[in-house]
Amino acid sequence: MYEKLIKLYPELANFDFASGVIVIQNDSDGKGDYIVKWEHPTLTQPTQAQLEAIGK
Amino acid sequence: MSSVVLSGDKSGTVTVTVPSVAGTNTVTIPAVTGTVMVSGNMPTFSYYETTTATSLGNVSFTKITFDANEWDTTGGMVASSRFTPTIAGYYQISGGYNTGSTTGQFFVTIYKNGSSFKRGSMVAGGISGLNTSVSALVYCNGSTDYVELYGYQNSGSSVNTALGNSLTYFQGVLVRTA
Repeated sequence: MYEKLIKLYPELANFDFASGVIVIQNDSDGKGDYIVKWEHPTLTQPTQAQLEAIGK
Repeated sequence: MSSVVLSGDKSGTVTVTVPSVAGTNTVTIPAVTGTVMVSGNMPTFSYYETTTATSLGNVSFTKITFDANEWDTTGGMVASSRFTPTIAGYYQISGGYNTGSTTGQFFVTIYKNGSSFKRGSMVAGGISGLNTSVSALVYCNGSTDYVELYGYQNSGSSVNTALGNSLTYFQGVLVRTA
């Protein structure tokens, strides 16, 4: 997930993801990473379609 | 040994026993309403990783899972590495993990109801790896509230937690009812 976000928004490369503004979470249930919180002041949360497109 | 037996209104008894030893001891019941805490109604658990490590994703809050326990008197309140108390009250929750990582920043977080509740110390990877731990009081309503342990790291790639009861663990105990 992190790598996909960086590809979509290279400016997030130096972003502090531990700050809690954007939270990537994995519940260890086999479903993988997902965005549980997105409160970035300028960048909009990517859609599932955008994330899947990056993975192709 | 002397005992006093108190009978319930409908059934059951409570026996108060005084040990047969020299000397005088005093138990003072405070003038407040509450539940007496004894070992039988103070559930406690201590889980750890023994065979399966948790893979902490890069820049991700990852739930830490546990596959063994040193003790568990909760009667099934712990399942799938999630503690869901059935007694409302204040729980002392603690946990931590170890990794052999030499780079990145790491911390462990107590999650309550799926969100970060109290964060532990942030430590950097080192020559001999690292330990991070957290401890906090958590109120749980005894029905829907639950507690889990999540780890975060930003080393640049996935990192496995270390196995062992002294390295990656999750503990709790009821310290006061609601």
